[in-house]
Amino acid sequence: MASLPLAPATSPASRLSRAAGRGRRKTLTAYLFLTPFLVLFCVFVVAPIITGLWVSLHDWNPLLPRQPFVGLQNYIELFTPGSLTSGDFWESMRATAIFTIASVPFLLVVPFALAVLLHQKLKGGTVFRAIFFAPYVLGVAVIGVIWKFLLDPQSGTLNKVLGAMGLPDSIPWTVDVPWVWISLVGVTVWWTMGFNTVILLAGMQGIGSELYDAAAVDGAGVWRKLTGVTLPGLRPVFMFITTTSILASANMFGQSFLITAGAPGDESRTAIMYIADQGLKQSQMGAASAMSYILFACLAVISVINFRLQRERS
Amino acid sequence: MRRMMRSAVVATAALLAAATLGACSGGSSGGSTDAGSGDYKGPKVTVAFWNGFTGGNALQLVPKLIDQFNSEHPNIVVKSSPMQWDDLDAKMPLALKAGKGPDLAVAHGEDVATYAAQGLVLPADKTVKTLGYSEDDFPTSVLASGRYDGHQYGLPWSVTPLGLFINRTALSEAGLDPNTAPTDAASTKQALEALKAAGRQGEWVSGYRYNDGLEFESLLWQFGGDLFSKDLTKPTFNSDAGVQALTYMTDKIKDGYSPPNVAEGGTLKAFITGDSAFSWQGVWSTSDPALQGVDWTATAVPLIGTQRAVRTGSTDWMFMRNKNQDKNKTAAAVTFVQWMNAHSLDWASTGELPALNSVREDPELLQKYPKLAPFIGELPYARYYPAKPGIGAVIKLITPGIDEAMLGKKTPKQALDDAAVQAEQLLKRNESQYGG
Repeated sequence: MASLPLAPATSPASRLSRAAGRGRRKTLTAYLFLTPFLVLFCVFVVAPIITGLWVSLHDWNPLLPRQPFVGLQNYIELFTPGSLTSGDFWESMRATAIFTIASVPFLLVVPFALAVLLHQKLKGGTVFRAIFFAPYVLGVAVIGVIWKFLLDPQSGTLNKVLGAMGLPDSIPWTVDVPWVWISLVGVTVWWTMGFNTVILLAGMQGIGSELYDAAAVDGAGVWRKLTGVTLPGLRPVFMFITTTSILASANMFGQSFLITAGAPGDESRTAIMYIADQGLKQSQMGAASAMSYILFACLAVISVINFRLQRERS
Repeated sequence: MRRMMRSAVVATAALLAAATLGACSGGSSGGSTDAGSGDYKGPKVTVAFWNGFTGGNALQLVPKLIDQFNSEHPNIVVKSSPMQWDDLDAKMPLALKAGKGPDLAVAHGEDVATYAAQGLVLPADKTVKTLGYSEDDFPTSVLASGRYDGHQYGLPWSVTPLGLFINRTALSEAGLDPNTAPTDAASTKQALEALKAAGRQGEWVSGYRYNDGLEFESLLWQFGGDLFSKDLTKPTFNSDAGVQALTYMTDKIKDGYSPPNVAEGGTLKAFITGDSAFSWQGVWSTSDPALQGVDWTATAVPLIGTQRAVRTGSTDWMFMRNKNQDKNKTAAAVTFVQWMNAHSLDWASTGELPALNSVREDPELLQKYPKLAPFIGELPYARYYPAKPGIGAVIKLITPGIDEAMLGKKTPKQALDDAAVQAEQLLKRNESQYGG
């Protein structure tokens, strides 16, 4: 073997192993760079997830000396009709579902329409962009208080204005269904549409003008350009804002908490509101954690479906 | 939207952190050293004092009293941390478990037993003895409402009954005598009919805890019912008395004395504007600055049922048991409480009645705050919540039922029955968590 003179100075195998060594070093370096984030990620995401799962298996009242292990009891109770928590929990999940289904289409369509308008070369376009984005800058406490005042069925400005125009002036915007849903969805769309608009606008600006030119040459009108160029070009952007809008709507808390206080009865109390009440106010950490996991599971399924749908299309 | 997501994440993190914190720091209960007696003479200490006095006159009065106390007591510095009652309830237990809670706090009377059962409060039996307080020094059954498991945990500070607020302008405008107040169901109906004839819906009602929930409780007791069975194991607010009480309230809407769908806080707003001539409000509303431009008066709540009764809240001092509670701080806190009770006359300006009889019966009080007279007159028959851990959360379950009945979604009977089913389950859970 040693007599083979023409053995290459570096055999493919050794080159490979050296490359692998470099690769390992590279991976190691990458991990080193990631460490600070990974530590935070583990401490504030992974550890709480595991702790939460552990807590959900106990009758966990943090203020009492003992936290007895109850196995899946907290979960079983949530699926047992007539138990202390199941009725309220599923009512709150229903509230969250109603809000999400009602708000997400508006959170996509309205910002898209606005983005199309703002994308035109208009004079003062920037001003409008700023105006539409402005509410998003406000905190939920601010918009909650403002709208609670405006929507008050008896002393609110909205009903006064409706009355002055000869329309019904005693609509229970913050007190009874279905009005509370219209209020909550309306307020949320007004508040957060600026964010989606800006994202969509950025997406539109990323679509090359040559595509529009080509479409124009082929005789496409405004509508055809919109459906043939703009919408397909925005597909990844839409996937992003659909996902974030669904998750944000499913996590709605402040608007219900401040504007309707869950009224009528507990009908507009969202899942997050109920979980926070059970866990933080009533100190039922075990039950609240179990509820969080069920909410998480539902959202995970919805997100997976959402991703699948978008992927199949492309 | 990001922000909403973030807040949800923060809420979840807080939930889990709280659970973890609780898990790490158990075992601070047990060992019942008493809060002891007053007149602290030890080394200089700072007493952390948490309270829910965030509004109205209390905002100026509390710091003023504390400044005066601090200057008179060179070895004690009391530091007040006012926060919303809800925040206080949420923050204090875990802060105490971590040893970072207050040495002294004021809480609602109905929560004292819950705090005590959680081992967060020091018993104050010796304190009561040293200060020489007995049942007779306070309105009937207030001192007892701060007792739990054979120990005194809450020292009464103030009591807060409901009253009937009357907008005199509204009555005059409708041609009624503003000096004649309705005293029972018949005279109430008469006045409301007269107001209705004059085109005014005279007594607005809504379906929220403040104050419709409190009005319901008052009426329930007036009709001879009670919230719970004697042994506090079963809800009884869905009895005939409860149905009568809630029906009386829903009839206000049916008979046209109140518009439907009144929003939270809408009854007081309507009273201030004069749209509503009568309103059941808490004594705390007497200090509402919005009432300053209104010609109003208050009387005892009318007797609608068969016996006199009115719901009253109370606030109590509690000496808190931090992990490694410093005895000197507790002793200094006792000195402060003793001093505050003795200087509580002007507490009336906050719209709360000082709990100590000697202070409340001082003629100077009514000279300065004459509008409080009817509220003080109610105290002999005023009713408090029973002292039992977790009872506050059970009582809050009634409110959605009241709302559903007021909105006409359920009959009063159905609404109360549904609430009672839940209440019974929560009572059971409380029993299993806190023991009997």
